[in-house]
Amino acid sequence: MRYVYRALTRLGGHPAQRVMGAATIVALAATVTIGLFVVPPDATQGDVQRLMYVHVPAAWVAYLSFGVVFVASVAYLKNGRVLWDRVAAASAEIGVQFCALTIVLGSLWGRPVWGTWWTWDPRLTTTAVLLLIYVGYVSLRKVADNPIRRARWSAVVGVVGFIDVPIVHMSVVWWRSLHQEATVLRPGAPTIAASMLAALLLGFVAFSLAYGYLMAVRVRVGRLEDRSTLPVSQLSTPRARRPRPVEGATAKADPSHA
Amino acid sequence: MHDVGYVTAGYAVSLLMLAGYRWRLAVRARRARRYLSTASGRATAERR
Repeated sequence: MRYVYRALTRLGGHPAQRVMGAATIVALAATVTIGLFVVPPDATQGDVQRLMYVHVPAAWVAYLSFGVVFVASVAYLKNGRVLWDRVAAASAEIGVQFCALTIVLGSLWGRPVWGTWWTWDPRLTTTAVLLLIYVGYVSLRKVADNPIRRARWSAVVGVVGFIDVPIVHMSVVWWRSLHQEATVLRPGAPTIAASMLAALLLGFVAFSLAYGYLMAVRVRVGRLEDRSTLPVSQLSTPRARRPRPVEGATAKADPSHA
Repeated sequence: MHDVGYVTAGYAVSLLMLAGYRWRLAVRARRARRYLSTASGRATAERR
């Protein structure tokens, strides 16, 4: 019991975060077990179709992440609260991980089915563009040194960049594509067998929990990192009395910052 | 038989990505906390 508790404390400081971390591990273990060993192989593609149970949820979480970036960016531009900027930054970073994972998994699936690792297909190309947009977003946050200017520029990119998400999703409908059309996120009933749909939905739950858990951790890390850019003289000052950053001043104003 | 290799690689990459990113966040949190506790001269109350 002590070892279980110790393992749980490694998942995060807040009890809700620990519970979410544990739920994520259980859901991921169930997805792997059911996806690999329980659901039958596809009639035409065979075992390689099992990649669907991680590829599609990874793509869903990438959409979700960039959707959260969009909402948080709009909220930041509207009321200027630093919390929204932090949420957008966290979600973009996680979205980049999942978008890259989607491309890697698609490539692993495409090699045996299409006979190639990569092709300039509309779905693949628009997804690669999506990844580049948000890699640019994350890079922009590292380049801009003034926190207010960084937040404002990032929010604009977060709003404009989201335009590519519906383009990625609709690319298989709008253009002739090697990639199959949507089987779940489409108008009408899903077009796959019930057992496969159940495994896929479990994958959605597991990856969404992973997103929620990583967001909780990443927002907390963002807050710590923001505090570590404050001048040393302000670190012992209560938050309410800290002077607000002004445009034109650099974030790392203190020369003693390592 | 080759299909199993692609599937195994896919699941392994997914789990490694999640674990690797979580580990990276833990490293960043530890580094920021260490800086804060050194700079402010007291232990920080926040845990990862």
